[in-house]
Amino acid sequence: MDSKYRLGIDAGGTFTDFVLAEKSGQTRLYKALSTPSDPTIAMENGLALIAEDLGTDIRDIISNSDLCINGTTVGLNALIQFRGARTGLICTAGHEDSIEIRNGHKEDGYRYDATYPPAVMLVPRNLRRGVRERVLSNGDIRVPLEEEDVREACRLFLREGIESVAISFVWSVLQPEHERRAASIVREMMPGVALTVGSDLYPQVREYTRTSTAVTNAYLSPILKRYVTAVDAYFRTHGARAPVRYFQSNGGLAVGGFVADHAVYAINSGPASAPRAGLHVTEPFGYRNVITVDMGGTSFDITLTYDGVTNLNKNIDFLRYRIGVPMIQVETLGAGGGSIGWIDDMGLLQMGPQSAGSDPGPACYGRGGTEPTTTDVNLALGYLNTQGLVGGRLPLDVARARAAIETRIAGPLGISLEQAAYGMFTIVNANMVNGIRRVSIERGYDPRDFVLACAGGATAAHITAIGREMGIDRILIPKLASGLCAFGQIISDMKYNHMATCPARLDNGDAYARINGLFQELEANGREQLRKDGFDDSRIRMSRSLDMRYVGQVHECTVEVDVFDIDASTVDRLKDAFHRRHEQLYTYSEPNNTVEVVNIESTLYGVVDKPGRNRLAAGRGAGHAQKGVRDAIFSRDGVYRPAPVYDGNLLGAGDRLEGPAIIEEETTTIVVEPGWTAELHESGSYVLIASARHSASAPH
Amino acid sequence: MQQSFDKQPPAQGGAVDPITLSVVRGILETTQREMTLSLEKTARSSVFNLAHDYSTALFNARPEMILQGQDIPIHLGSLIPAMKVIAAYFGDDIHEGDLIIHNDPAYGGSHAIDTCIYKPVFYKGKLVYWTVCKGHLTDIGGPVPAGYNPDAKEIYAECLRIPPVKIWDRGKPRTDVINLILTNLRARRDQEGDFNALIGACQVGERSLIRMLDKYGEEQIDACIDELLAMAERQMRSLIRAVPDGTYTGTAVLEDAGHGFGDFDITATVTIDGDNCRIAIDSPPQVPYFINSYEGNSYSGVYLGLMMFAQLPPPYNEGLYRCVSVDMGPKGTLCNAREPAPHMNCTTTPMETLTDAVRLAFEKAMPSKVAASWGHANGLNIAGWDKRHNEEYVTMVLATIISGAGATPHQDGWHACGPECCFGALTSGDVELLEHSYPIIVHRYSLLTDSCGAGLHRGGSGTAWEVEPLDGEMTFIMFGEGRRIPALGADGATSAMTETKVGRLELKRGGKVETLRRNTIGVIGPGETVTNINPGGGGHGDPRKRPVTRVLEDVRLGLVSVEGAQRDYGVVISDLETLAVDIEATQRLRGA
Repeated sequence: MDSKYRLGIDAGGTFTDFVLAEKSGQTRLYKALSTPSDPTIAMENGLALIAEDLGTDIRDIISNSDLCINGTTVGLNALIQFRGARTGLICTAGHEDSIEIRNGHKEDGYRYDATYPPAVMLVPRNLRRGVRERVLSNGDIRVPLEEEDVREACRLFLREGIESVAISFVWSVLQPEHERRAASIVREMMPGVALTVGSDLYPQVREYTRTSTAVTNAYLSPILKRYVTAVDAYFRTHGARAPVRYFQSNGGLAVGGFVADHAVYAINSGPASAPRAGLHVTEPFGYRNVITVDMGGTSFDITLTYDGVTNLNKNIDFLRYRIGVPMIQVETLGAGGGSIGWIDDMGLLQMGPQSAGSDPGPACYGRGGTEPTTTDVNLALGYLNTQGLVGGRLPLDVARARAAIETRIAGPLGISLEQAAYGMFTIVNANMVNGIRRVSIERGYDPRDFVLACAGGATAAHITAIGREMGIDRILIPKLASGLCAFGQIISDMKYNHMATCPARLDNGDAYARINGLFQELEANGREQLRKDGFDDSRIRMSRSLDMRYVGQVHECTVEVDVFDIDASTVDRLKDAFHRRHEQLYTYSEPNNTVEVVNIESTLYGVVDKPGRNRLAAGRGAGHAQKGVRDAIFSRDGVYRPAPVYDGNLLGAGDRLEGPAIIEEETTTIVVEPGWTAELHESGSYVLIASARHSASAPH
Repeated sequence: MQQSFDKQPPAQGGAVDPITLSVVRGILETTQREMTLSLEKTARSSVFNLAHDYSTALFNARPEMILQGQDIPIHLGSLIPAMKVIAAYFGDDIHEGDLIIHNDPAYGGSHAIDTCIYKPVFYKGKLVYWTVCKGHLTDIGGPVPAGYNPDAKEIYAECLRIPPVKIWDRGKPRTDVINLILTNLRARRDQEGDFNALIGACQVGERSLIRMLDKYGEEQIDACIDELLAMAERQMRSLIRAVPDGTYTGTAVLEDAGHGFGDFDITATVTIDGDNCRIAIDSPPQVPYFINSYEGNSYSGVYLGLMMFAQLPPPYNEGLYRCVSVDMGPKGTLCNAREPAPHMNCTTTPMETLTDAVRLAFEKAMPSKVAASWGHANGLNIAGWDKRHNEEYVTMVLATIISGAGATPHQDGWHACGPECCFGALTSGDVELLEHSYPIIVHRYSLLTDSCGAGLHRGGSGTAWEVEPLDGEMTFIMFGEGRRIPALGADGATSAMTETKVGRLELKRGGKVETLRRNTIGVIGPGETVTNINPGGGGHGDPRKRPVTRVLEDVRLGLVSVEGAQRDYGVVISDLETLAVDIEATQRLRGA
C-alpha cells in the first residue's frame, strides 16, 4: 500500500457505508442513504461527504487511494424486483422445463399453504428452446448437435428482442464441445448479445443447478455490466490508480470485467465480507474459530469460520433460484432492530420476520409506527439512550415504545410490560441462537469452540445474551462494528473459483492421474487470470477442495485439502479427510466403504496488501469514561437495576469494566450483562469475557 | 370402530412462562430440522434422500407425538399409532442404548418398505423422549425389486416383515439380527448405509434433546410441551368451530389400475359438532392386490384430507388431532385392512383416493376454502444390471411420480409438484445424477401440454419422463392410478378434454407406440423407451370464467393447446400466429 488511502464503498439496503483507511490503519466510517435506482448517486453523495470532512475534493481522495473497492446490491435488487435482462435459454431437447420443474419440490414451511405462489420464471417457457444433441454420462456424444436447431432458436430470440442468452446442455461438463459450438453460432447470429455458457460458468455435475445458475447469470449480467461500466468510468475519470475491485459473494474481490460476465458471483456480496473482517478483528488474539453476527435494521446475518476457513455454500436455493457457484454461507434471519413482535394464531409470542423498516420504523421513532420492535424493546429495557446514538442524533421516544409493547404484547399475554419487554428480547435472541445452530451444529461444529465477532449497529445490545445462551464465553466487538462489512471488503484478497467435474471412485487408481491433471489445468488457468490482474506468482495463493461421498449417496461433503498429487501413497490422506468430515457432520463414518469424488475446485487468491493496524492509546481507567447511571433490566423478573453508562470515546486501551454496564459508542451501544467483563484492547475491539460459567449454559 | 388416539389433557394445568414456551418450541423445531438434514445428506436410497420420503418425529414418554417434521404427508398420521404400538409391545423392557426397528403394517406401520428406527432417549436413568426416523428403503426383499409386487395375493409375497425388534440392546448392536434383516434385502451396501443414516439421525436428535434438558430441566420442558400440544388442539378446534355444524359426505372413485376387480368407491362422512369433528370412512372389502391400506397408513390419508382443509403452517404435533375422531370402518376393508392383505402400493393407492374423499367432504362444508385435488401418483420402478460396476441396480424413479398440484381458491396450481400424497415434499433428483447412478438415458423430463385441470384457477401441469436403458435390458414396474379419472376439480371446475389429463405409460418399440394404462411389469432393451406420464392437478372454479388473457398466456407458454383453449375454456383462437381470438365464437361458447 504505497498511497495515502484505501477506499471501500459498500451499498446496503438502507445505507451505503464508506470506509477510508489510511496506511497507518486509521479508519474513518461514513454513511449515505442508499439510492437503489442509481447507486452511483449514493456513491457520489458519500464521497462528497468525505471530501467535505477532510477539506478536499473527490478527485483527491480517489487519486490518492491505492484501491477502490465496491460491494454492490445491483444484482440482488434486480433479482428481487425481476428487473433483469430479457433472457432466452438454449438447452438439450427434452429438458427445457428443468428450471420450472425445480426437482418437483415446494419449499418447506409452505406444505399446505394455499396462497404461496410458484417461483417467477426468469425465462418463460416459450423462450426456453431445446435443441437436438446429447452427451452421455461417460462423456460420449450420443446425438451430434443439430446446428439448425440453434439457428432456429436465435431467429426466435431476435424476433423477441432477447438481450441475454444462456446455453446449458446435459453432461456438457464432461463434453463441452456442443455448448461451445452453439455459443459460436449465437455470437455469429446475435452479435452483441450477452452470453452465458453453462460449462464455463459452473462446470459441475447437476444439470438443473447448472442450468439455473446459467439462467440467473444471464438474467443479471447485462445489469451488472451497465453498472460496472458506469462505476469504472467514474473512478477512471476521477483519477483512480487501478481498476475498481468488486466484492463477490464468495468472499473475495474481482475486476469489473469478470463481474460483468459472472453476475451470479456478486449476488449476495453484502454480508460475505463479514468472515474476513471477523478474522481481522480476532487476529491479534490468535483466534481462528469465529462466528460473525451482524444485526441491522431488518435482518441478522451469521457466518462461521473454523480454523481460518469459512463455511461455503454450493448448490443452494437463493431467493428461490438454485445457484451452484460457491458463496460464503450466510444464514439470514428476519431479526433486526425493526423486527416486529406479535402473537401468532396459536397464542405464541413471536418476533419477526416482519419488519417495520425505516418507514414508519419502530414505535419509538415517532414516525407513526405502532408495532413494538426490537429497538423499542431495547429502549424500554433501558439499554439504549433516549437521545439516540451519539453518531445518529435521532431521539427515541420511550413512552411510545412502552405503549406499543403494552398494547400488543403485555396486555394480551397478561404479563407486566417489563416482563413482556424482556421476553421479547429473549425470543429475538433465541431466534438468533437457532440461526447460529444452523451454521454451526448443522455443519458439525460445536459453537462453544468459537469466539463471537460482532458486526452491525444493533448487534452489541444482544451479544452477551446470545453468548450466554450458546455457552460462548468470549466475544469481540470492534468499535467499528456498524461498518465492519465495508471494512472487511477493503482487507480482502482477489478470489476466483475454478471448478471441474470428475466423477470417479477412489478405489480406482486410474482416476488419480485424471484428477491431478484437472487440478493442474484449473490452477494454470487461475494463475493466468490473476497475472492479467497484475499479480505475480509471489502474490498468488491457492487451495483445493473436493466434493466427495460414499458410493450410493447423493449428496457430497466438500473437503478442503492441501495442494498435493494424489497417488497410491497419498490417497488415504484424502479418504481420511472425508471420513473425518462425514463423522463430524453426521455422527458416523464408514471407513470400509468406497469413496467417490464428484466435483473438484481450486480456489486462487491474489493477495492484496493490507492497511496497517491502528493502536489505541492506553486508557486512564474506565472510571474516567463513566458518564452516568441508567436503570436497565437484565433478568426475566423485569426489575430495573442501575447500570453504569460509559462513553466509548473516553475509554482507552486496557480499560476494563464489569457488567452490568452499558457502553455508548458513536454508532453502536454495547450491553454488558452481569457476569461479563469488558476490556478495550489496543486493536480497537472490546473483549467481553464471561467471568464465570453461567448456570444456564450447557456443560462442555 | 371408533378410535382416536390419546385424548388425555396436559399433565398440569398451571400457566407456563410464555417466553420459555417460545424458546422451547424453537429448540424442538431446530432438533427436528437437524435430524432431517442429517438423514437427507447421508442416506443412500434415492427415494429417501431425494424424495424426502422420510419423516423424523419426536415423542414424549407417554408416547405422544410432540413434533413432526412437515416432511411428507404420507407419514403424517402413521407414526402416531406405530409409536404407541412399539411402546406397548416392549412395555418396561425398554433400556438406555436400545434401538428398535419396525416396518410391519400389522403393527401400525404404513407400508413395509418404509422402515422406522425408534430410539428411546433416557435422561438421568429415566425414559423421557423418543426420537424416531422413518424412511423409504431401496428394497425390502420379496420377489420383486423395490418392493412393489402387483402379483402378490398376500403380504407374505411382498416383503420382509419386521415386527418391533431391537437392533441395539443396551448400547450393543445385535449384529445377528441386523444381518438377518440385511440378508433378506437387495442392494445390501446401500441398505447398510441407510440404516446408519437412520440411526445417525436419531442420535443427532437425542444429542440436541439432552442439551435442552440440561439447560431447562425436565419439569419445565414437560410443561412447555404439554402447553404446545394444548395450543395445537385449541387451534384445530377453532378451525373446526368455523365450519357450520352438520354432516358432509364425499365419495371418490378408485379406478381399477389393472387388478380386474373393477372401480371402488371410498366415502368419507365428516360430522362437525361444535369444535369436534368425526370422520367415518366407508370402503369395500379388502382385495388380493397390493392396494389395501392398513389402519396406520389410512390415518395419513385422512389427516392429509384434513390438512387440505386446515392449511396449517408447521409445527405439527398430536394435539392437532385431539378434536378429531376417526372411524376407519370394519377390519378387513380396503382402508382398514388386516392380514394377509397385500398392501405395498397403499401410500399412494388407495391413500390418495381416501384423501380425496375426505377433501371432498370438507369442500362441501367450505367450498371457498378447500383446494382442488392433486394428480395421483402414477410411477415406475426400474431394475437391471449395471455393467459399469458389475452390480445390480434397483430404484423407484421419483421423477416419474411428479404430478401437477391442484388449484386453490387463490391461485393456479403449481406445476410438477405432486403427487397428492407428497404435496410438494419430494425432490425428484437431477437427470445427471440419475444417469451417473444407473445405466440409463433420460430423453425427456418435461411439463405436458393440456395436462392441467381446467378452472378459473387452472391446475398445475403434470410431467413426462422418458427413459431408455443403455447397455442391457431394464425391468420396469408400473404402479399407481389416475390413468382414467383426472384429478378432481373444486368449486365447479371440470375439464372437457380429459384424455390428456390422466396418467399413462407410452412404450416405444420397433417404431410403434403402445399406451399402457394398467399396472404392468415389462422389460425393454436399448433402442426402446418408456415414457411415464403423470397427471396434472385439478382446477378451481368455472373455467369459462378464466380471463381470456390468462388462457392466451397459457397457450403462448405451451401449457394449453389451441384445441384445449376451445374445449376446456371456450376460448376460440382464430389466428395461430398472433393468437387472435374469435370474440363472437368465444362468447357463444362461454355463454356470455
